[in-house]
Amino acid sequence: MNDIGEFTLLIALAVALYGCAAYVMAVRGNRIDLYLSADKTPVIVWVCVVISSAALWRGFITNDFSLQYVWAYSNKELDTFYKLASFWGGQKGSLLFWTLILTTYMNVVYFQNRKKNIRLMPYAMAVMLVIIIFFLLLLNFSTNPFERIPLPPEDGRGLNPLLQNYWMVIHPPTLYLGYVGFTVPFAFAMAALISKNLDDGWIRLTKKWTLLAWFFLCMGNLFGASWAYVELGWGGYWAWDPVENAAFMPLLVATAFLHSIQIQEKKDMMKVWNMSLVLLTFVMTIFGTFITRSGLIQSVHTFDEATLGYYFLAFLAAIVIVCVYLILTRLPLLKSKNELDSLLSREASFLINNLMLLGIGFATFWGTIFPIISEAVRGVKITVGPPFYNQVNVPIGLVLLALIGIGPVIAWRRATWVNLKKNFQIPVIIGLVTAAVLFPIVPLGGRSEIFTYVTFILCAFVMASILREFLNGTRARMSLEEGGNFFGELGILTWRNKRRYGGYIVHIGMVLIFAGIAGSQSYSIHDQKHLKIGESLKLRDYTLTYEKLTVVEATSVKTRVIAQIGVYKNNKRVWTGRPEKEFYKGQNQPVTEVDVRSTIVEDIYIILADFSEDESATIKVYLNPMVSWLWTGGWVIAFGTMICMWPDRLEQRRRLDRMKKQEAIFAPAQE
Amino acid sequence: MKTHQGILAILLALALVAGLASSAGAAAVLADIENALMCKCDDKCGKVLINCTCSTADKTRAEYTKMLDSGLTVDQIINMQVDKYGETVLSSPTKSGFNLTAWAMPFVALLAGGFGISKIMESWKRKGAPEDQDTGDEEAPSKSAKYSSRIQEELDKIES
Repeated sequence: MNDIGEFTLLIALAVALYGCAAYVMAVRGNRIDLYLSADKTPVIVWVCVVISSAALWRGFITNDFSLQYVWAYSNKELDTFYKLASFWGGQKGSLLFWTLILTTYMNVVYFQNRKKNIRLMPYAMAVMLVIIIFFLLLLNFSTNPFERIPLPPEDGRGLNPLLQNYWMVIHPPTLYLGYVGFTVPFAFAMAALISKNLDDGWIRLTKKWTLLAWFFLCMGNLFGASWAYVELGWGGYWAWDPVENAAFMPLLVATAFLHSIQIQEKKDMMKVWNMSLVLLTFVMTIFGTFITRSGLIQSVHTFDEATLGYYFLAFLAAIVIVCVYLILTRLPLLKSKNELDSLLSREASFLINNLMLLGIGFATFWGTIFPIISEAVRGVKITVGPPFYNQVNVPIGLVLLALIGIGPVIAWRRATWVNLKKNFQIPVIIGLVTAAVLFPIVPLGGRSEIFTYVTFILCAFVMASILREFLNGTRARMSLEEGGNFFGELGILTWRNKRRYGGYIVHIGMVLIFAGIAGSQSYSIHDQKHLKIGESLKLRDYTLTYEKLTVVEATSVKTRVIAQIGVYKNNKRVWTGRPEKEFYKGQNQPVTEVDVRSTIVEDIYIILADFSEDESATIKVYLNPMVSWLWTGGWVIAFGTMICMWPDRLEQRRRLDRMKKQEAIFAPAQE
Repeated sequence: MKTHQGILAILLALALVAGLASSAGAAAVLADIENALMCKCDDKCGKVLINCTCSTADKTRAEYTKMLDSGLTVDQIINMQVDKYGETVLSSPTKSGFNLTAWAMPFVALLAGGFGISKIMESWKRKGAPEDQDTGDEEAPSKSAKYSSRIQEELDKIES
């Protein structure tokens, strides 16, 4: 089976090379026979990659330690659940997993569009095949997952204990689905540039793909934060690690695109800008992969054998050069109407929104690469950690938060002062009331506390501004529909305007995330104490009593040491926490498994920091306010995105109407 | 009477905030150091000390607590660590010399971007409709009537 897995990778490469060449030659030579032949290749490549992936999974399930990759990331004792996830635990498998997702996406695109978009499809398929060829070249000739060990050992080295968490099964695939998903919009954008079909066709084809990839990347980042929170035991969820940054940057650029694309749809503006954003999003995903796999930048996420840096750098350089060349040579065709009625309009606010998103993106990029720049210029390697990102990104993020409240309710074309007053009066009043109510309650000692205070005020303003939109729309429906109830009409309003109100729901999710980050970052308190059994630790209005220590031989390679902590509030037992340390045979450091009691107000987060033979233990406790807001915000975003992506015939009809109107309006100008 | 109760409530709230601030004080000083310095463990974990849970990090924290107890200030402790391990022990670049570019560049880029966008918007605006063109808002007979007609328009579009 291993031979088959290795062989199918080679076949996949050969077929992908043929398919790519055949698509290009078919279009260039106008040869339908070649086109029909090329059209068979996406499925063949996918089948080959699926067989190869199945072979590797089989290696994990059957403990085939003749495969170096299986030996390095699995052992006999590993749960089947984690054996399946070990597939993407190392560099080789993760590249195969990337290829598997990409070929799957390519086939979905193929079956969706093969009969509909003949002008763009050959080029889009060729572009996707080029990217697949790059990955298949690496898999075949540089980092082969089917590399053998001549004398197979009895047992494997095992999966890193930190990765033995259920999030390992969820977080990386979600992140990859997002990362790889941006290839589809990139491929269609490139197809439009190469074929010079630069009308809005490529945008219609790719908008939902961008949203889908954005959704997965967003959820992937949140899942990663959740994993870090429960596994790493430092009470936090985001450390501005270079690899976290690498997943954050494409998300920012894609968010900018998802906003500015609305201007192109509504007003036929900003074609060059939108094209650049789509290309940049993909470039950022490759840059992120370069960081993870180059070993150039120190990160907790870097793969052990991070040796592919130069290949990814070369690929990145090639993509950038091709993108810049195509945009420059197609500039006349990307000419937009680009007329602005007023600086006080939704178009202008979206431009500022783009500036802020890209500002955060650039600051994050700059912070990520600055250690390399510093080493090159001064010969001194420095660290750029959370204090830098917090100081630089937080002020920009606050402007962005304000814009979430301003953008959607400001009028298209031109807002008047009357219009502004009408739309913003209530949200501003609610923001001011929040400021007044919070002023005596929250501490305002340092810069971070002031930023938090401002964040809460802006959250109230934005939330009021969004809820007002829902309220007004529902009321208007109720006034027109006799006898309709509020929630029924609210549902109909949202369902009949999925993109608009789904977008507002996503914004509500963002507000919750902003509030959660602000509250948990600024008001978290913690304490640590060495306790004997029966002794207690007090933290604010909680008393934590250390009750017992239990040692459990979970498996032949894993021992769990569990502390039992009774948590009391006002002399009433509210929870029993069971933080633990897990010891794995052959691993130097034990793994911390925290225990968390999460409520809407705060999390009680308990860590077993250390223990002694006399059963005394060092217990560390955090009270992290509002962390659950962050996760709730994530689910609200997921809900809103689903509404936005739901197929909408009415929206399609409206778009056709808009296009007809635009054609009528712009036809003379384009002549 | 009501005024007295109000003053008492405000004083109690202020006392609570002050109490919270002072109890957090000692921990906050150590947290300042933990935020400013990286963990120095042999595994080169690459984590800021406050985020690190390895045994080296625990020892380092104990060491800094002792230093603080001995009367050293946060700045003195940080400087001692820089002398010992070099600049790489700092969790963020210093705000001097070449490192200043790390801090300044994002804002310079933002300003440049803002300037560029304002120029672009102005040029687009010149191409657009004149400012005094009527948008209908001020001339509307009444706000509710205008709003209703807008909703009606939208509903027509939805239901067409």
